[in-house]
Amino acid sequence: MIRPSASLSALLGAAAALLPATQAAAAPSDDATTRASYRFSDYDEDSLAPTSVIGDGKRYRVLSQAFDLDTRVGDGKYGLKLDATHEVMSGSSPWYVLPDAQQRPIQVLSGATIRDHRSALSAALTVDPSARSNTTFNVSYSAERDYRALSAGVERSQSLSDALTLGYGGSFSHDVIEPTDAALYDRIARATKNTASGFASLAWVLDRASVLQAGVQLNAEHGYLTDPYKLYSYADAIVPEHRPGQRLEGAALLRYRRSFAQIDAALHVDYRFAQDSWGLHSHTLEVAWYQGFGSGWRVVPALRYYSQAAARFYSPFALVADGRINYSSDYRLGTFGAFSTSVNLRKAIGRWELSIGAERYHSAHGLALDGTGAGVPALVDFTRAYAGVDFGFD
Amino acid sequence: MPRFTRAILTAVLLAALAACTTTPVQPWERGRLARWDMRWDPDPAQAALAEHTYFSKEGSSGRVGAAGGGCGCN
Repeated sequence: MIRPSASLSALLGAAAALLPATQAAAAPSDDATTRASYRFSDYDEDSLAPTSVIGDGKRYRVLSQAFDLDTRVGDGKYGLKLDATHEVMSGSSPWYVLPDAQQRPIQVLSGATIRDHRSALSAALTVDPSARSNTTFNVSYSAERDYRALSAGVERSQSLSDALTLGYGGSFSHDVIEPTDAALYDRIARATKNTASGFASLAWVLDRASVLQAGVQLNAEHGYLTDPYKLYSYADAIVPEHRPGQRLEGAALLRYRRSFAQIDAALHVDYRFAQDSWGLHSHTLEVAWYQGFGSGWRVVPALRYYSQAAARFYSPFALVADGRINYSSDYRLGTFGAFSTSVNLRKAIGRWELSIGAERYHSAHGLALDGTGAGVPALVDFTRAYAGVDFGFD
Repeated sequence: MPRFTRAILTAVLLAALAACTTTPVQPWERGRLARWDMRWDPDPAQAALAEHTYFSKEGSSGRVGAAGGGCGCN
């Protein structure tokens, strides 16, 4: 299973502390010491074309709610962030791929509609949050019917000069999977996975209007990395997919921010390259424009492009037995590219801020930078709508 | 040279170049840098939900929300 890396979020989380200390106090609508946020998100995948599908073509839908609290405790000596997230997931899922008479892929979707929910809690404690150098400790726990994850990490933000800040840290995550209907479908009954991660980053104040951050990240996964729900069409048989028991991933990240304060705007540009020991590598480019219109109104249009090259053991199916040990038809391991467009509208009213937005995501094999290799029949298109409210108080 | 090594070297070179060209910015000149829209993640709660989606649907991705965010990725 592919799941979020704890330390990848830590890298980005640490980035928030890399700017001058004055920045942390500048919220759009208030300077409150405590900020509470609520977010609702409706994620809805498009159905697959019925001509190339066996099973229920109605794919995944996820309704998410998140509540965040960001405050100071201990007479301001500590910064405390708490997050609670709840998600409800339903729909059918890609199961395996069959060749038709012309050896074109036919996607088989899970027969039974999946319905599950996930709950997650996380906490982060920052020592001396107002200081130019500080340390943050974080823990999190996530649980769904068949998957639990417990992680802990520490990160340090160290001011090297007025213009330069070093960030570094590490984390460890222990995950347990207990697939449903294990006996019925001959799935593994219980398995574990451990992930160790480390990161380092440097942030520069380039001039009065721009900042740049460069970072590197390493993740080492060990244990059961196979998706127990996926099957694979291997010669004349349908067998459980199988992936390597370890994975090493490295990533490099660049982030740039430039203010155009005279027109109440800012430009955000993020780029990330990642490569892992499975042969999968990816490029991600995100560009966003933050535009204010006065009276508390703000609009944020954004574009995102993602391209990945397939893992070595990915293919939709195998027509003949070739002795391979690892094989998967999981579309998330195939070659594809994706474009995403989004817009976010915000309105600050005193200590309140309202936010609504929508995102449209389209992926295709031909959108990849290197569009060669096996086709990927179950690529996802989705629409995500969201809304939220923030409230600041002392 | 592996792609990842090339990417790391490129990032380091760009960063070094940026550092060389940095002009000192005095504390009273940092007002624009302190704006909300200049944060790395101005809306971390929303970014967490979005990045959890990307992690669930892509082989590798840039960032995600809460650490230990479980799977939810079928």
